Amino acid sequence: MAMKKRRYALVIDSRKCINCKACVVACKAENGVAVGNFRDWINEDRQGEYPKLRMDFEPEQCHHCESPSCVRVCPTGASWQRKDGIVLVNYDECIGCRYCMIACPYDARYFVEETGVVDKCTLCSHRVDRGDVPACVETCPSKVRIFGDLEDPASRIHELLATRRYRVKEPQTGNGPQLYYLL
Amino acid sequence: MHELNWGLLIVVYLFLGGLSAGLFFAAGLANYLEVDGQPAYPRIARMGALLAPWPVAIGSALLILDLGNMLRFYKLFTHFRWESPMSIGTYLLTVFTLIAFVYAFSWLPEDWRRSLFGKVPATWKLVHRLNVDISAHRKTIAMVGFPFSIGVGIYTGVLLGAVSARPFWNTNLVAQMFLFSALSSGAAALLLAMVLNKREPIETHETKFLITLDIVFIVLELFIILPYLIHGTLSVLAVKQALWLILGGPYTLVFWVFFMGLGLLVPLAIEVYELAPSLLKGKPFHGDRNLALAATSLVLFGGFLLRYIFVYAGQASSFHKMGLLH
Repeated sequence: MAMKKRRYALVIDSRKCINCKACVVACKAENGVAVGNFRDWINEDRQGEYPKLRMDFEPEQCHHCESPSCVRVCPTGASWQRKDGIVLVNYDECIGCRYCMIACPYDARYFVEETGVVDKCTLCSHRVDRGDVPACVETCPSKVRIFGDLEDPASRIHELLATRRYRVKEPQTGNGPQLYYLL
Repeated sequence: MHELNWGLLIVVYLFLGGLSAGLFFAAGLANYLEVDGQPAYPRIARMGALLAPWPVAIGSALLILDLGNMLRFYKLFTHFRWESPMSIGTYLLTVFTLIAFVYAFSWLPEDWRRSLFGKVPATWKLVHRLNVDISAHRKTIAMVGFPFSIGVGIYTGVLLGAVSARPFWNTNLVAQMFLFSALSSGAAALLLAMVLNKREPIETHETKFLITLDIVFIVLELFIILPYLIHGTLSVLAVKQALWLILGGPYTLVFWVFFMGLGLLVPLAIEVYELAPSLLKGKPFHGDRNLALAATSLVLFGGFLLRYIFVYAGQASSFHKMGLLH
């Protein structure tokens, strides 16, 4: 039986974000991310002066790009991409040159001093593979993140991207980012 | 929040790699030039050949030191990824270093070679088999090495230029800029070494050759830097914002005063001042020792600064955080 083609992505409805950082904490707990490093974070954008004031929160993490520059520049192939789009680091092959960190337009990667290798968001591939959603998605109290398979016409993100307007960040780098921010 | 992933070790490596490429190129060129059927600059050719492999060898060692996992550096050689400039560079660098060592060996004086092999135990037969005179093949080795020296000079720029996420680097001009800077550093280092070698004082025609070579390379470098600046300021917003780093931002002083001024224009002025009278008015070329020392030191200083500015400013540039810098 032929495997069904999958393409995982995240839709982010950032207007629902209340900056509680539960996603950041959940990620750290799920993946054992050391103090000082982050696989996901929340950008804050302030505009205007009191009382005419506006503040936006925008969760971000690895965009699991369509043509990831981090994978392209890796000299050993340690940075790689699964067929379902998830970009991962093979820790046994990584030599710690940090070229991928420089090549990432989103600064989504970090260097782990203790092990000397680069690490990043895995889209909780271990959870996804057993049918669960990533920890950041599961924990979000205001349901900002929607995880799903773009190849599945019945999925919620398929519907959202078909009916809602959205944007991706820095498309001009040509990476083809797969975090879709609803407008 | 943006941290530096590549620091001084990488700057030094980029400088040393380029320096070796430049030394090899200048030495190989000198080896080919003849006057009346006689080699025109045999001493330049030998000095350059003997010096060329060392900077890149040291630089490569620094590169390995900079890795998060030093002991895994061999993995660079167990993979070949043509899309990764670093992977291509690894092989270029290795082949170039080997050729540079073979070339240096071909220029070893007979007695040096004898005493070198004299230190190897007589039972090491395989090593002693290498004790051959290959001086007849110097021109062939130089010819094979030329494209690799140019390749290493270019590659150090491509390593940075190929990163589309960093608008400060992401132009084809960085490769040429680094190449000409490397060739200029090589010519300058060779002149510096010849001037400092008191046992065999440099002759004026040798000084003149190296100064001429360096002027050519510096001018070519200028022809790249000016379009880089002009194009950058006329480019899309992200590139314009990236160039702000050297046009008003934190690297402005070091770029304009120390690199462009002290590292490029001042040595160019000194060298033109030395060469112009003999070139334009047919006056004898003096080749002042102190001026040569000053000019070559400044060129090397400038070559180092160019790498420093590009490695540091380039990492500070990006598509999404530049707004915060203003």
